[in-house]
Amino acid sequence: MTAPLDISAYPPDGMEVRLIDRFTTLKGRRILEVGCGDGRLTFQYAPTARQVLAIDPDRLSIEDALDEQAALGVSNIDFRVGSIEQLPARGAPFDVALFSWSL
Amino acid sequence: MVHALQRAGQRLRSGGSLISIRPHETQLPLVSIITPSRRIPVARLPTPGFDTRQSAADAALERVVAEGRFALRGIRNHRYRSLLENPSQLRTYLELIIPPRPRFPPGRRARLLQLWRSRPRGSRIEIAEWIVVTALRRR
Repeated sequence: MTAPLDISAYPPDGMEVRLIDRFTTLKGRRILEVGCGDGRLTFQYAPTARQVLAIDPDRLSIEDALDEQAALGVSNIDFRVGSIEQLPARGAPFDVALFSWSL
Repeated sequence: MVHALQRAGQRLRSGGSLISIRPHETQLPLVSIITPSRRIPVARLPTPGFDTRQSAADAALERVVAEGRFALRGIRNHRYRSLLENPSQLRTYLELIIPPRPRFPPGRRARLLQLWRSRPRGSRIEIAEWIVVTALRRR
């Protein structure tokens, strides 16, 4: 029996986080991720982050992310539908702002 | 794009990092056939309208640095490769890319299929892509 195909047009899991680590660590940090999509990258670093606010304007992608979050039991991610422009200018400061394939 | 970076800057603490991960502007995805003994490059895949978008992203990053809101921490380019079993998987791969998608230049898809039909046993299709990571530090 042939194994199910696992085709992704994105980099292999872990590669982007390793590249980010060359500039700054994400461990223990408050992170704002802009353009999170379905959380593909978010779930790679969130387990070691302190808190994550992950936003994307695509509602269906956020719904997928929330389903995955429930399945994984990750509690430190706040997924929201929206854009960076809609984010209030004031609020608790983040340590890292991550534009993942969204600029 | 500048406004998005400025808003992100408003929510970053002083000394915080802004990281952008995006496809490389000039290094286009490269499709090759990998045989047991050699790599045969077949095509670089341009993306319609991609240059304009990437140039705008680069300009936005440069502008917020020039405005003094951020300092450039560094830029790194990186290549990653995906190995596919057949042209059908390549089609799936390209369909997974958020539009606008890369396209084969005229004649190159036919060339790929021609080479694939005469491939040695154990051959695969490789697609190499490049990303650029830009890191800024909020002043």
